Amino acid sequence: MEIDLRFFATFRDAVGEKERTRTVADDATVGDVLAALENEYDGLEGQLLEDGAVRPQLSVLKNGRNVVHMTGVDTSLEAGDVVSVFPPVAGG
Amino acid sequence: MSDLRLNATQLDRYSRHVIMDEIGPDGQQRLLESAVLVVGAGGLGSPAIQYLAAAGVGQLGIVDDDVVERSNLQRQIVHGDADVGRPKVESAADYVAALNPDLDVDTHDTRVTADTVADLVAGYDIVLDASDNFATRYLLNDHCVLTETPLFHGAIYRFEGQLTSFTNERGGDEPRPCYRCVFPEAPEPGTVPDCATTGVLGVLPGTVGCIQATEAVKYLLGKGDLLEGRLLMYDAMDMSFEEVPIRPNPSCPVCGDDPEIESVGDVAYEGTCGISAD
Repeated sequence: MEIDLRFFATFRDAVGEKERTRTVADDATVGDVLAALENEYDGLEGQLLEDGAVRPQLSVLKNGRNVVHMTGVDTSLEAGDVVSVFPPVAGG
Repeated sequence: MSDLRLNATQLDRYSRHVIMDEIGPDGQQRLLESAVLVVGAGGLGSPAIQYLAAAGVGQLGIVDDDVVERSNLQRQIVHGDADVGRPKVESAADYVAALNPDLDVDTHDTRVTADTVADLVAGYDIVLDASDNFATRYLLNDHCVLTETPLFHGAIYRFEGQLTSFTNERGGDEPRPCYRCVFPEAPEPGTVPDCATTGVLGVLPGTVGCIQATEAVKYLLGKGDLLEGRLLMYDAMDMSFEEVPIRPNPSCPVCGDDPEIESVGDVAYEGTCGISAD
């Protein structure tokens, strides 16, 4: 199935684009997608997952809802879901 | 009726506020009796200070320990060319004094630390976070959560802005998240570069700082719907605003059900702003 990925701030820099569509396994979870992204992009290695959970330094949203409030990395996905990854930014 | 408390000059100065039902003389009086602390007199602080001063927020505290540099002037519009080398708080205070004689301005030429945050924030109704680093942002969040002080958040990165508002009024029916509910810890130092490293579109903090000031004025007036529970992400390149709902995190280290942070002394703010090892 296909899902849409969206990146913000430093993650946008690491991936080189704001959004992309990606094909994943039909039973893929948010954690599977984050692990695949870490493998695919050098700049994301170790940046998304920590001890099997979403790192506390970023937010991952599924269709605008933080996966922390669902089942974290085990949150399931359906075709057409939008997964957004963004860090806090501090500039002022 | 309280309209007689505004003098003739004030009725003239604030006439475009006073004429509106949502503000009126009472609302303007409320602004004049309000005290706002702006932390940072840089890109975000500049427009926020300017509009809060123009709006007649009666007491304006400005905190910053930097001096004006020429490279600031591309976006930090409260300062001018002649201010290069001067403390930012002095330059900003001069701007406010020239704009609006109704205001009392307190300048704090210092950095907010865990030791000083309580004294700095005390006496102000709300805090506007216009700082430029994670240590200050997490410190302000934690202090404002612990003291139930409203905090108006804005931050920028290159062409993007993040905004939200935290009333920190807990115990009611409404969900009231805090900054740590969204981002429990700061990125490791150096992993999210600052404006000096990455550059920043000069007008970007103008938009973001103005929204922070808008939220602050609405809160002080008790009018409108705040960005509470919503993270607004602004992309200047796309000219798009996106809103993400944010909810309280029951395991939030500072506002959750069993918070680890009971005092700002519990946190090592110079690192990832996590709980101190000791």
